[in-house]
Amino acid sequence: MAKITRRNFFKLGAVGAGMLALGNNVNASAIDSKKVKYDEEYDVVIIGSGYAALSAGITAAKKGDKVLLVEKMGRIGGNSVINGGLLAVVNSPKQKVEGVQDSIDLYMEDSMKAGRYINHPDLLKVIGKRGNDALKLVEECGAKFYDKLSHLGGHSVPRTYLAANGSGSGIVLPMFDYIEKLPNVTVKRRTKFDDFILEGDRVIGITAREKYKFDSKLKDDDFENKSGTKKYFKAKKGVILASGGFSCDTFYRTQQDPKIPADADSTNQPGATAGVLLKAFELGAVPVHVSWIQFGPWACPDEKGFGAASNFNINASFRYGISVNAKTGKRYMNELADRRTRATAMFKLVNDNKNYPINICDQVAVDKIIPDIAEKALKAGVVKKYNSIDELAAAYGIPVAELKQTIGKYNDYVKAGQDPDFGKPVDKTDGVLIAKAPFYGTKGVPKLHHTMGGLKINTKAQVISSYTKAPIPGLYAAGEITGGTHGASRLGSCSIPDCLVFGMVAGENI
Amino acid sequence: MKKVLILIYFISLISLIYANSQKEESNALSSSIKITPEIKKKYPLKHSHNKLSLDCIFCHVGQGVNPENFEAVDEDKCLFCHKSKIYLAKRLEFMDTLKANPHNSVHDGPNLYCDECHREHKPSVNMCSECHLKEIKNNIWMKDTP
Ligand SMILES: Cc1cc2nc3c(=O)[nH]c(=O)nc-3n(C[C@H](O)[C@H](O)[C@H](O)COP(=O)(O)OP(=O)(O)OC[C@H]3O[C@@H](n4cnc5c(N)ncnc54)[C@H](O)[C@@H]3O)c2cc1C
Repeated sequence: MAKITRRNFFKLGAVGAGMLALGNNVNASAIDSKKVKYDEEYDVVIIGSGYAALSAGITAAKKGDKVLLVEKMGRIGGNSVINGGLLAVVNSPKQKVEGVQDSIDLYMEDSMKAGRYINHPDLLKVIGKRGNDALKLVEECGAKFYDKLSHLGGHSVPRTYLAANGSGSGIVLPMFDYIEKLPNVTVKRRTKFDDFILEGDRVIGITAREKYKFDSKLKDDDFENKSGTKKYFKAKKGVILASGGFSCDTFYRTQQDPKIPADADSTNQPGATAGVLLKAFELGAVPVHVSWIQFGPWACPDEKGFGAASNFNINASFRYGISVNAKTGKRYMNELADRRTRATAMFKLVNDNKNYPINICDQVAVDKIIPDIAEKALKAGVVKKYNSIDELAAAYGIPVAELKQTIGKYNDYVKAGQDPDFGKPVDKTDGVLIAKAPFYGTKGVPKLHHTMGGLKINTKAQVISSYTKAPIPGLYAAGEITGGTHGASRLGSCSIPDCLVFGMVAGENI
Repeated sequence: MKKVLILIYFISLISLIYANSQKEESNALSSSIKITPEIKKKYPLKHSHNKLSLDCIFCHVGQGVNPENFEAVDEDKCLFCHKSKIYLAKRLEFMDTLKANPHNSVHDGPNLYCDECHREHKPSVNMCSECHLKEIKNNIWMKDTP
């Protein structure tokens, strides 16, 4: 291999040097625009169809750009359409109605604390400032929200909107309907981005395969799946990467954290893989925090994926109830701590011969949440209803005297507004005790949920190059494919605003 | 003279091509594909389609006569008979416990491709079970995907 001196590094240009650095990997070459005959031409090409892609697409199209969205799956919306529909907005209209005092500083402090202070504050600030713009955008598309704000773990105050249908689809579907009606937008499904086309060092298009069909039986679809017909799409103004995270990429996630078993369950859609991220790295994008992978602490081992229990635990058990060690009947964590803290505490139990913790709340808690969420979880059989604490304890083999003592102690903490044991903010749980039958129990387990790391972007959503330390011309990114914003651990309901805001920013700046 | 000859040559060529394509078309309609027991075994049809004795060309129209070379068909072929997803959703509303109607579901609306779940020559799958295994296993929502 040729020796790269500093001088010929610059002569080669960033891409050439990237190819050299990557050795013999034939896939490592982006395609030279001069050698390309384009099948179709657009101003803006966007990879993905979730919050980030739709937000970027709508914003760019409103400016008059001719836009193409490519989505490799048959389904629209990636993780966004199966998500919990929880969206944190700082200084929102609903906070005004509920008299909640909030500020961008407080939001940033909450996020930085959960993120172990390795967050990139400039990016976080953009989300804090522009959350209301994102909310306006989705409401204009027709998204509706539940009346009451939710209060999620790690947030100092309630600031979370919940889509009226209890799912991210309550936001994605209106956005998709909206974008489909725009005459200057084309959406191609089962079309997979493969590579960048460059003009000099500028990203000017992509190659993609139409009629591509994702195959969940393959171990590594990005690598093995050859289906589809190759096409060349020009992107005169640039390309926006909005292809999400890589929680289902068993190869890449194991490289980042070898402790994650290959068969570990994830809440994500099967197409959440690292292919696009890796292509952008080849092009020279700066990788940030790629090994910070988040587990969702509210999942249930009795079902696959996010399932029906997660939303129940997020909204009811963790906020208004407790989580106990089934062997001892004692609490072992702050049920409203950030996800990393909770997942770590839970894995300590789970790794002890699958001693799954039990999440518990009462009828008053359940009356406070959307009836749909409880009904779904009960019907699925993942949340169970018991007439007494004795019955509940017997069902999970929890020592009953200990459990009753734990509940008594917890109720006292709620009344006093302080939890000296684990520091749960019981002053903000509406005074809900564990007292009124029936009682609800769920087995808990953390599942692979979110990849915090990804591409380094600046506050204009431009992807930064390792070679030049400056934006890669024509390349933008938004959403879970980007990294740094959430640091080591993302707070719940902070991804939707991240995706929507930076999608919007990318659409504005491209 | 020469010009006329060339013209005649071209006309006959075109009519030859035309006749050929007609033949192919009618062949196709009367099914030039001999559906041998082997082919039937390799590409079995779903019960109701089998009862209607649908032949290959009914769906794989314009894809030649060799089943080995057929490609998956677009869903307009399905909707040619099955109308629209909203129509199907209406007919199957009785399954709609907890907004789970798969043809107009809470997550996807009427946007899913048919073959996300329905497979003609292979066992069908239930895509929803990617996340909702329990509801489906416990038969709370749906029966087996036809
Ligand atoms: C079950 C679940 C619940 C969640 N709940 C919440 C919540 O309540 N609040 C919150 O803030 N966050 C939540 N999250 C996180 C949040 O949903 C995601 O981080 C967010 O949806 C990511 O959006 P995105 O636009 O970046 O990517 P996605 O929505 O994942 O979209 C990316 C799309 O790109 C496609 N793609 C990938 N590679 C290619 C390629 N090569 N070519 C073409 N297309 C490609 C993917 O198939 C996918 O459809 C949840 C996540 C899950 C999984």
